[in-house]
Amino acid sequence: MENKMTAQVSQGKVASDGLVGMIFLLASEGMFFAGLISAYIVNRAGAMEWPPANQPRLPIEVTAVNTFILLLSGFFIVRFRMNNRNSQTEAIKSKGLIKLSLLLGLIFLIVQGSEWVRLLHFGLTTRSSLYGAFFYTIIGAHGLHVFAGLLTLLYLSNKLKKQVGFNMKSIIDSCSIYWLFVVVIWPVLYYLVYLS
Amino acid sequence: MENGQHQQSFIQKYIFSTDHKVIGMQYAINGLLMAIAGGFLAYVFRYNLAFPGKDIPLFGQLSPMQYNTFITNHGMIMVFWVGMPLLLSSLGNFLIPTMVGTDDMAFPTLNMLSFWIFFVSSIVLLLAFFVPGGAYGGGWTMYPPLSANAYMNPNPDFFQALFSGASLMLLAVALEFVAMLMGGINFVVTTINKRAKGMTAFRIPLIVWFIDIASVIFMFAVGPLVAGAFMLLLDITVGTGFFDAARGGDPILWQHLFWFFGHPEVYVLLLPSLGVLGEILPVFSRKPLFAYKSIIYMALFSAVLSVVVWAHHQFVSGIDPRMATFFSIGTIIISIPFAGIFLAFMATLWGGSIKFTTPMLFALGFIGLFLVGGLTGLFLGSNAFDIYAHDSYFVVAHFHYTLFPDIFFGFFAAFYYWFPKFVGKDLDKTLGKIHFWLTTIFFNLTFFLLFFNGLAGEHRRINNYSFFGNVNKEPYTTFEKICTVGAILLILSQFVFVINLIKTLRSGKKAAKNPWNATTLEWVTDSPPKHGNFDTFPVVYRGPYEYSVPGCNEDYLPQNQEN
Repeated sequence: MENKMTAQVSQGKVASDGLVGMIFLLASEGMFFAGLISAYIVNRAGAMEWPPANQPRLPIEVTAVNTFILLLSGFFIVRFRMNNRNSQTEAIKSKGLIKLSLLLGLIFLIVQGSEWVRLLHFGLTTRSSLYGAFFYTIIGAHGLHVFAGLLTLLYLSNKLKKQVGFNMKSIIDSCSIYWLFVVVIWPVLYYLVYLS
Repeated sequence: MENGQHQQSFIQKYIFSTDHKVIGMQYAINGLLMAIAGGFLAYVFRYNLAFPGKDIPLFGQLSPMQYNTFITNHGMIMVFWVGMPLLLSSLGNFLIPTMVGTDDMAFPTLNMLSFWIFFVSSIVLLLAFFVPGGAYGGGWTMYPPLSANAYMNPNPDFFQALFSGASLMLLAVALEFVAMLMGGINFVVTTINKRAKGMTAFRIPLIVWFIDIASVIFMFAVGPLVAGAFMLLLDITVGTGFFDAARGGDPILWQHLFWFFGHPEVYVLLLPSLGVLGEILPVFSRKPLFAYKSIIYMALFSAVLSVVVWAHHQFVSGIDPRMATFFSIGTIIISIPFAGIFLAFMATLWGGSIKFTTPMLFALGFIGLFLVGGLTGLFLGSNAFDIYAHDSYFVVAHFHYTLFPDIFFGFFAAFYYWFPKFVGKDLDKTLGKIHFWLTTIFFNLTFFLLFFNGLAGEHRRINNYSFFGNVNKEPYTTFEKICTVGAILLILSQFVFVINLIKTLRSGKKAAKNPWNATTLEWVTDSPPKHGNFDTFPVVYRGPYEYSVPGCNEDYLPQNQEN
């Protein structure tokens, strides 16, 4: 029997399904971080002293370098998106940028992890003070998002090895915008938790 | 890209199916099963309230701790495991693809995953009854310090704390939200990207609009609650102390995070039901929906307002009076768009040739009963009155008068209306009407008198009023007994529905393609629609509510009819 279903006459797409869906997911994610940040600001405003006297300081300089690394990773993703705006064969050509982005993201995560180990060693734990609790919760939540973002980049670069599929645009759009979200939210968190 | 031609095994077809209709069915069945659990809990604690200390038939003795557990889980189950799946997920899954004229959701696999995560969340919630210490019993809002203290000590044993009632409830809620988020993304993307040709924004049926608006409100509001739940879970399992005042934390913070989601959730549940009315009222009064565009604008307006009214739940938690005034005003303003929507529904009925079919009866019953809930809400929105009535049975009666019509009348209206389409058999009309009248009468018997008990100062969440002189006297003790009798009869009258369902499934007449002479796209295809919904994709030429158009042979013009 002839397949009548494949060609739906539709009203037309606003953007790829993956992009539209990911925008709504990221709106929700943004509100999740907004919730954490507002909780942090409220508790901090009510605290006697912040940061508490007996708690170690956060590694501002190392993290500044690390921030730069993550931003660079985001830059490569933007370059990747700009390269393949027109055709998907170009996407396959420029998949090296994804790998670069992935590598930088991995470095970011490893540096963050090693800083955590040092801080734990200095006595900043989830139970030592609210300062520590908020630090590990907010930065940890972001770290989990970075980890998930690395997995999506890995998935994307694997997909690009093969031939162009019918929903390739959806996958490229959603994976790259997710990573961009993870990158863009980091400076905000860095400013609020480390600097201010 | 299979379209019903190739053979699928039973498991592919009915268990791990990616077909939106099967998933809608799974959500409906899961929701109704959870309603049985929630109803049973209600029966047990209602019986205990009327006859404290007596043995409860089918249960036995109810300890005060169990009483707390039961009311907590009754609330949780009815809102998140009955209301959400029945109204949002089930209706959304059935209706959105068929009404916008496409074959399936934008992400069918995600859709399947959504249901199975929801299923796991129901299991996790019920599992909490069987862990040491039992399910959580500190009220469905899970306020700390009670919730955080459930296992709080400086060094909680992680696994012991993780398998406490409070943690399991938080985990279940988190899983449920993941499921709803996946569903919501699917609904919105399907509506935006997969509409049939000609289905412009203002030709989309009202219910699709409303389910999408509800999904967007949900996605926007759920983030902070997930953040709060994450922090509370860390408090319980790791011992962080975010909500522990002794360590500098702030217990009120949880209330803000909770109600920032908790209040919009009310509109997440309300909007799909209003959408059901938007479909049913025009069909059975044979008139176009009055002020279709304005209704959508008012819903959008209420969606914006819904996220700035949350603190009206916290008038007695120690809130700055200036803030309380702000939230009072916001709360009272939000009744304006809903009053507008109800007015438009009234105007739709005005002068129509009304047919009192079962779905129409439930729709009209919804309007009447919800009015009582909505008007008492206006009183409670004013903080001066709320401080007196807070946490009393007045509040209990108020939100049952809103949520019961919303969840059950809304769902039953939709059920009786779309059952012929999606199951393909006609339900028994007489049994349906009996079901409606019994439900309406016994619902009022259950909840109306509670308003008076509440005004007399009867506090909720107390298992035995013998020690409260102000309410342990006539007529309030009699009122309690009447409420309990009403609740039992209300539950029993649902058997009429079950009998109708069984009878129809066994020997129901095959339903016609368009039994109600309705205009929207789901009535164009077969009953039930096959895998892929349409033989040829419909093209849309007109709006969804063209009834009694002058100069036409029929009194309705389907959306896909040219000229």
